[in-house]
Amino acid sequence: MSEERLWKFRKPEWMNSSMARSAGVYAAGALFSLSFFTLLDAAVFSHSALNGSDVHITFIDWLPLIFSSLGMLIINSIEKTRLSADSFSYSGSGVAWKARVVLFLGFASLAGGMAGGVTVLVLKYVVTETVWPTLYMGVANVLANGLVMLSSVVLWISQNMEDEYAYNLAL
Amino acid sequence: MAAGLKTIISLSFVLAIGFLLVILSCALFKQYLPLLVVATYVLAPLPNWICGRCSNPDDFGDSGSGNAIVDFGKFLTGFLVVMGIALPAVLAHSEIIRVPAMLMSIIGGVLIYGTIISFGMFFQEEQEF
Repeated sequence: MSEERLWKFRKPEWMNSSMARSAGVYAAGALFSLSFFTLLDAAVFSHSALNGSDVHITFIDWLPLIFSSLGMLIINSIEKTRLSADSFSYSGSGVAWKARVVLFLGFASLAGGMAGGVTVLVLKYVVTETVWPTLYMGVANVLANGLVMLSSVVLWISQNMEDEYAYNLAL
Repeated sequence: MAAGLKTIISLSFVLAIGFLLVILSCALFKQYLPLLVVATYVLAPLPNWICGRCSNPDDFGDSGSGNAIVDFGKFLTGFLVVMGIALPAVLAHSEIIRVPAMLMSIIGGVLIYGTIISFGMFFQEEQEF
């Protein structure tokens, strides 16, 4: 195991404990909640009396977040061990290939959500030269999509941590 | 059992203070939306508990298919805990509630959730014996 290591720095011991793993999952949920409520805050703000402009949050603004969340759902629903399944002899029939295609779709959806957030910010708010309190709605959109990305990264890392842990226990 | 009795009395005291703060934040300003914080924090430990019951501990060798539902429960719990803080902040940002009401409902919600969590920890300790 130690001869196959690629990096000079070894992983700290606490990273493999099950407590760090569950803390990572909790943190992923917290980040996703933060992203959802960032966009909800923008939506509530846009329909409150404080919003002096005519620009409002519509379904278009929610669409990038929907795509990001869909991508996150796809990425984290895949069984991670199937990604390298073709290297074993007993599980042929292209399971790893299928898993990689689905994973690619998930990452494309996540990146598409991020790009959609930036597109909404530019086309709806920057090009029409809105000022700050209105511009916040576009910035919140990008922020929400970035937080979904961060959340799925944290969830991915903590799920991989779990695989290491199970492997160590099996040895 | 004197220590256990003291813990229960102090925990219920903290719970009462938490409820007092949340209800005060609603009633002082005649705007009853912050009561949702109580519902959020009461719901927060539920996904963890339900998914913990659903999982099969014998599935351990199957590399995580039994643990996936536990992870999903933890994810939902994390979501709900942050929701309890984010909900008053969203309401205060749009001036549906005032900032003092937001502070009171957040502090009250944290007290209520802390009470629930500490009760759960005490019960778990009893089960281990």
